[in-house]
Amino acid sequence: MSEVTAPAGGTKRGSAAARSTATGASADRSPYLRSSIIVGGVIVLLFVALAVFAGPLSAITGNDPYAEHPEALAGSVPAGFGGGISASHWFGVTPLRGVDLFSIVAYGSRISLGIGLFSSVISLVIGVALGLLAGYFQGLADALISRTMDVFFGFPFLIFAIALSVVVPQSFPRPLLLTLVLGFFGWPGIARLVRGQTLTLSKRNFAVASRVMGASPAHVLWHQILPNLMPLLIVNVTLSIPGRIGAEAGLSFLGVGMNPPTPSWGRSISDAVQWALVDPMYLLFPGGALFLLTFGFNLLGDGLSDAIDPRKGVRA
Amino acid sequence: MTNKHVVRAAIAGVCAAVLALSGCGASNNTANGTANGQSTGATGGTLNVLLSSTEMDLDPAKSQGLPITTNGNIFRRLTAWKITQGGETKVVPDLATTTGEPSDDGKTWTYTLKDGIKFDDGTTITSKDIKYGLERSFADSLTGGLSYHKTLLVGAQDYHGPFDGKHLDSIETPDDKTIVFHLNAPFGDWPWVASLAAFTPVPEGKGPASGYGKTPVASGPYKVESNEAGKQAVYVRNKYWDKKTDPVRTAGPDKIVFKMSQDTSVAAQSIMQGTGEGKNSFLSGFVPPAQLAQAQANPAYQKLLATSGDGALEYLAINTKRVTDLKVRQAIEYAVDKKAYQTASGGEIAGNFATTLITPGIAGREKYDLYKADSTGDVDKAKQLLKEAGQTSPNLKLIATSDQAETASSIQTSLKRAGITVDIQTLNDDVFSDAETNNEGDYDLVIGGWQPDFPSPYANISPLFDSSQIGNGNYNLARYSNPEVDALIKKATETIDQSEAGKIWAETDKKIMADAPVVPLIYSKNTFIHGSNVTNFVIGNFPAYPDYNQVTLASAN
Amino acid sequence: MNILAYIGKRIASSLLVILLITLALFLIFFLLPTNPAQLSCGKPCTPEQLSRVSAFMGTDQPWYIQMGSYIAGIFVGRTFGTGGGAVVCDAPCLGYSFRLNESVSQLIADRFPVTASIAVGAAVLWLIIGVASGVWAALKRDTLVDRTLLGLSVVGVSAPSYLIGLLAVIAFALSIQIFPSGGYVNFSQDPVQWLYHLILPWLVLAILSAAGYTRITRTQMIGELSQDYIRTARSKGVPESVIVFKHALRNAMLPVMTMFGLDLGGLLGGAVLTEKVFSMQGLGALLLDSVSNLDLQVLVGATLFAAVLVIIANLIVDICYSLLDPRVTLGRN
Repeated sequence: MSEVTAPAGGTKRGSAAARSTATGASADRSPYLRSSIIVGGVIVLLFVALAVFAGPLSAITGNDPYAEHPEALAGSVPAGFGGGISASHWFGVTPLRGVDLFSIVAYGSRISLGIGLFSSVISLVIGVALGLLAGYFQGLADALISRTMDVFFGFPFLIFAIALSVVVPQSFPRPLLLTLVLGFFGWPGIARLVRGQTLTLSKRNFAVASRVMGASPAHVLWHQILPNLMPLLIVNVTLSIPGRIGAEAGLSFLGVGMNPPTPSWGRSISDAVQWALVDPMYLLFPGGALFLLTFGFNLLGDGLSDAIDPRKGVRA
Repeated sequence: MTNKHVVRAAIAGVCAAVLALSGCGASNNTANGTANGQSTGATGGTLNVLLSSTEMDLDPAKSQGLPITTNGNIFRRLTAWKITQGGETKVVPDLATTTGEPSDDGKTWTYTLKDGIKFDDGTTITSKDIKYGLERSFADSLTGGLSYHKTLLVGAQDYHGPFDGKHLDSIETPDDKTIVFHLNAPFGDWPWVASLAAFTPVPEGKGPASGYGKTPVASGPYKVESNEAGKQAVYVRNKYWDKKTDPVRTAGPDKIVFKMSQDTSVAAQSIMQGTGEGKNSFLSGFVPPAQLAQAQANPAYQKLLATSGDGALEYLAINTKRVTDLKVRQAIEYAVDKKAYQTASGGEIAGNFATTLITPGIAGREKYDLYKADSTGDVDKAKQLLKEAGQTSPNLKLIATSDQAETASSIQTSLKRAGITVDIQTLNDDVFSDAETNNEGDYDLVIGGWQPDFPSPYANISPLFDSSQIGNGNYNLARYSNPEVDALIKKATETIDQSEAGKIWAETDKKIMADAPVVPLIYSKNTFIHGSNVTNFVIGNFPAYPDYNQVTLASAN
Repeated sequence: MNILAYIGKRIASSLLVILLITLALFLIFFLLPTNPAQLSCGKPCTPEQLSRVSAFMGTDQPWYIQMGSYIAGIFVGRTFGTGGGAVVCDAPCLGYSFRLNESVSQLIADRFPVTASIAVGAAVLWLIIGVASGVWAALKRDTLVDRTLLGLSVVGVSAPSYLIGLLAVIAFALSIQIFPSGGYVNFSQDPVQWLYHLILPWLVLAILSAAGYTRITRTQMIGELSQDYIRTARSKGVPESVIVFKHALRNAMLPVMTMFGLDLGGLLGGAVLTEKVFSMQGLGALLLDSVSNLDLQVLVGATLFAAVLVIIANLIVDICYSLLDPRVTLGRN
């Protein structure tokens, strides 16, 4: 993502994909894309493990992301090689306070993954529900929903998110707030996709047949249209997660995301910037983690979109 | 947004908007000061001042700036600050011949203007220009500046500025050389007030209700050649300025360029490396921690640093409206680990331990310590006091900005030792400054910092402890209200004899601390960095900022 | 005519969108627990002074009145205060910043060239890089070239621009010092310096954004090249270069241009992160500043400007699309 102007990548990509006649992946599978599933999957799984076991993993060396270790510093700069890398601090420590950097990265992955995944679920639920409604019933429902989508597409998301962070009382947990904001702004891409597919699918023989036989709209939507959409949705969601993770990090980088002392990669990056020449490892670890995780999801998404050929899925 | 370099200044919540420019923040003199301080610089060359702020509004009516920073070189006022390296800062006559003649028990102040003082277009500055400048500051469109004079001048409450042809009668200009102020109460510090930006002369008819701040008419040794938001402001010589009339400005460089929207880390880096303009530049803000560490480790860079002496008071305010038991507050006085706070602020270079409210370098200060303990605190005494109060494990809410995360957690840890649980609530900067100064006061503890606007105990004590300064955007953060203290403040303020006033202030200081509304933590020091060719980088005992009026280049480039 | 009716409909709905955005922003700021007037109150601040400032700025009014005056100001202009000391903001008044003493329209006019310089330059570069590498990858499908380009594109899509931007500043501006670390010089003032200051942000934005274009161009090209008409053309002996560039690329460019229009429209409204990393005072920096200073009028004005740009970009894309591709009916996705 060049700039975090869209929360979920859904807007740009969604609109482009929805307008394009060929839906995404190339027709046949290449070995490259198959290996990308494996590599991407492994990266993502590693980070999931890191997030789930952040506590025990940090505890191996007796660390947590809050405790200060002034003994690991020489003055205000980490002592020793690579920003204070040692047996007890695998990634070294932060300057000034000497907090264990591995713990920060590990706990930070919880925030990144958690917000990425849960906001996707919210977007998915809203997007699918509204997309199905608009595509199946058309008419007024479609007009209303489509106009709402236009509002969201034209909405300066980043500014809105910044403003919200100021308005919402600080007693409201930031991770939840970011999840809700990203979830709430990430649905139009999915809704547009679902609407388009539903429009096509509901004219297909099997759907028409069901309706003729007296099936309720809910039955048709749930049993016939939704299953056909699943592969597309999985790919779309997987590919939207990097955007969400990037958006959280970007907001935290700008100082309007996660508040200290909660570890967040984006905030660590912004803290580390001024130390870059003195202690480059401080920037490298959280920055590298952020890049690697988004890279993993993108690889996985690419591979999946090829493996589950959307057109094939639709025809089944 | 708050960058790391404004950390300390942001703590001094006072200064939110005008930070780097005004030089409002924390503290003052230098380790290597004499080397830099007293040498004679060259005349000529271009001096660069690197600012992180994105615009420079130079309208004197709206300025909260110190008289010795950005606008010191273009605006003269009735009085000025005479700053010497490590010495006491004195108020001296600038446009006027004296610092003010009081009469009517200090309710009337009279000034006579010097001969040979001119604007940058060559016209002579008259007392009417000063009156007009002051009147402008009452206009509804020109609010936001320091407003000490607004509460003091008779009839000012109902005055809305000169743009409708109305004038403020409590400022009299019997002739072009004389200006008389009528105050509603005696005010011994008026000579200091007369040094603030609102007392800058503005030629009548040339200072519109908006837009004057870009290139205002100058009266100092420089005039504003250009001022482009986000880029730079250029000061060039004002040929009508006469050095003989000016006791404080040395006007060394031919040109001063203020470069705006600079990244502090990058700017500090370029100054250290000394490449290009770096050696002829100085950073207006504090040196960020990373560059500070870098410079301290390298002897060549170390001599570019200038650290002030004891400056702004950083303190832990205890909301006396909520923590009503004196014993509990006293327990907090003992429980706080000032050493840990100092470490979290960056170590010894961040400042010395504080015990008094009036800061070092201000006339009238008496050193004392009501709550004697090690710098790490006296946990046993704190526990005992809590026991006496019958509250062995109080639960308190500390509000903090994200920049205070580290210092706040050090307070949390140190109070924990005495059994006091502190919940830290991190707030966004603007929400924070509202939360600490609004009328509700929904907090038990808050870390504050206060750099007085002028070096007088009045500016130190009154804004923080007078009961009229609770809420409404004011900084009595402890919400401290004691009629006896109010009376003492009033008495000291109205005492014209300054040594007499000083005694009353010292008494007030102790009286307040006996009620333990705040825990003095440290007198913060500011560290600045300047290029190798920059000299006369003088930081006096007050304020903890370099005197821009004296900075010169060692050799003209 | 069909097209005109369509444009009319889109403009009407765009106005609705803009109104809703304004409403949302005013609501948000109404909910803010702080009084923007407090920042302009002065020091020390008395309650009387505060209410004077609030009245002058209009923040003592309920939010819907404030919003009403704001919207009215766009059409008839606004006057703050009365008499000689009043501040006048002529129509179309997008608001007035008391912090910066400038009308919001003037602020936007000042800042837009910075953002536009960043956005347009970067966009041209990323379009060229993206399309060229996408075509190349499609032609060399499943070879080492294709796989390398695809791999690089995933890297590019995954790397956050601000992180790469920061690394670029550290490497090229601070360590080896061949580029300035930030800032902006007006083109009219010094075109060479203008270019010199923009190279780094352009390259960072362009290289990272190009990744998305590589991918979509590649996919589209592969799709087009497998179409029947291409096979027919080939069998008729049409030169390969003509097939690739004249036929396949032309059709493949449609979705690419869609994406380009939307990206550029969004970026023109403020490149918040890029401007921050490279210390450039464009619209993004203005927006970010206005939020941290509670400068509601600037926030609303600049946001509206950004929203209008996005909407116009959408409109242009839709219209171009329908003109170029008869398969698509207007207003349908």
